[in-house]
Amino acid sequence: MTFQVVAGLVVFIGAYALIASEKLPRAQVALAGGAAMVLLGATDEAGIFFSEHSGVDWNVIFLLLGMMMIVGILRQSGAFEFLAIWAAKKARGRPFVVMTMLIIITAVLSAMLDNVTTVLLIAPVTLLIADRLAVSPIPFLITQVMASNIGGAATLIGDPPNIIVASRAGLTFVDFLVNMAPLVVVLLVVFIGLAWLLFRKQLTYDPERVAKVMALNEREAIKSPRLLAMSVGVIALVLAGFALQGVTHLEPAVVALMGAGLLALLTGLEARVVVADVEWETLLFFAGLFVMVGGLVNLGVIDRIGEAATAAVGDNYAGAAVGLLVGSAVISGVIDNIPYVATMAPLVAGLVAAGGVAAEPLWWALTIGADLGGNATAVGASANVVVLGIARRYGAPISFWEFTKYGLLVTAVTVALSVPYVLLRYF
Amino acid sequence: MQLSDLACSLPVVTRHTSGLEAARRIAGDRLTALVVADDTGRPRSVIPAVDVLGLLIPLYLREDVRLAAVLDDAAADELWSAAGQRTVGELLEDDDVNVFDILVVEPDATLVEVATLMAAAHTSIALIDDPDHEEPRFIILPTVLDAALTARRLRGASEA
Repeated sequence: MTFQVVAGLVVFIGAYALIASEKLPRAQVALAGGAAMVLLGATDEAGIFFSEHSGVDWNVIFLLLGMMMIVGILRQSGAFEFLAIWAAKKARGRPFVVMTMLIIITAVLSAMLDNVTTVLLIAPVTLLIADRLAVSPIPFLITQVMASNIGGAATLIGDPPNIIVASRAGLTFVDFLVNMAPLVVVLLVVFIGLAWLLFRKQLTYDPERVAKVMALNEREAIKSPRLLAMSVGVIALVLAGFALQGVTHLEPAVVALMGAGLLALLTGLEARVVVADVEWETLLFFAGLFVMVGGLVNLGVIDRIGEAATAAVGDNYAGAAVGLLVGSAVISGVIDNIPYVATMAPLVAGLVAAGGVAAEPLWWALTIGADLGGNATAVGASANVVVLGIARRYGAPISFWEFTKYGLLVTAVTVALSVPYVLLRYF
Repeated sequence: MQLSDLACSLPVVTRHTSGLEAARRIAGDRLTALVVADDTGRPRSVIPAVDVLGLLIPLYLREDVRLAAVLDDAAADELWSAAGQRTVGELLEDDDVNVFDILVVEPDATLVEVATLMAAAHTSIALIDDPDHEEPRFIILPTVLDAALTARRLRGASEA
């Protein structure tokens, strides 16, 4: 091993440790790691900006940017608040039915939106409903964030790891729907059953409190029906654009940016409002990660590990898929699944290149494991951290272990169900 | 003009004061900010009145203002009642609330000096450091502006 390779590994592992420890802002760590790779000569401007294999994946960055802008406009409409209150009233205030409705809404929204955005949108209205019902919001918040992590697995745009996998593997929106959505539906049904087992004793029914939920006027949440109609229309167009990628050959990033531009134009909202929900720090974090991983690719580290993995796997791709799925779930429960998938994607690409069609299910194993593993602990996914923060500020703190005891069970069950799905469907 | 001529008394609350009582003080005296004393009774902090709303308005409404519209009057009454169980101390510990150290000015400070210090400290209330008075005496922004504008008008009249 040359000095350059050793130094590159030290930078990479050091940055990973710092990101996992959350002692410093993750975007700064990733960018500093990327800068160190440049100083080491592991990458350069041509590699960073123009290399499809070792540079910044602009499809990922711009897909996220476009969707963040669309959500930023859509949330002005009050659609999410309307939907949640409408569902609670349809459930006639029965706490477990309300919980189930909110689980389904969160999962479906998460399939179309980023998980963090979804929980940020749904948490306030959940607190309102729990307040009206005079029940603890904790079971609602925990089940919602888990539903978000499960539901986000269903589509290409639902979870950042999916976006990375789709871009690196050349998978389309339809590929994700066909391969992931059926599993996610089954997992959600099971998850609702688990929620009943875990939380039913905390959900008491009080007819007097139900009247307070029924008194909520969800129509008042929608301030501009025109804005709502335009937002829903453009989102439908964007989803159609994703689904028709095979025909139009337009990358999801281009479709999302076109949708964001169209929506901004139609609504005439100020640029400040349009970009208000763009998480610049997240986008920079992704860019830094891509540069760091690209550095390792250029140094030949990823190829070496890939060769070793290929030799270890041989032609036992079923075993490799199970190992990758379970391993990814375990690792993603401990560290952020975004850097994990960004690192694993070139490795899996190497395995798939060596194994051909037989190895392609490894992409799904990686995606499923990384997405579901996020539920395992309180720090397994960004959405978990966000919800814990909201609960603490509301005065209903959820401790790390309180979340994790439920999370480990849910992750174990969902991963255990996913293993036979992968084996039966692909091998 | 002496600063003591412009001084006034203000209600002072403590960290144990309830949200509802704090709201009554603000409403009763049309306060722009609330002075909070420590356990010895000495004024220590100033919380802008708008930040005291944090005790009256639940987090979920502040995080998503559109939800306020879905509540009926009965629900709103419940919210105000719930503020009775919360205290000013919660505001002092909330990172999202603007809590300023009390601004202390000398009794011989000029109006420009007081206005400048208020602008720099982002506070509309200053405590006058006057050992001659046992009760704390304050000067508030509207009084400073009123005195400054009056002085300007008088100068303009005498020049004319």
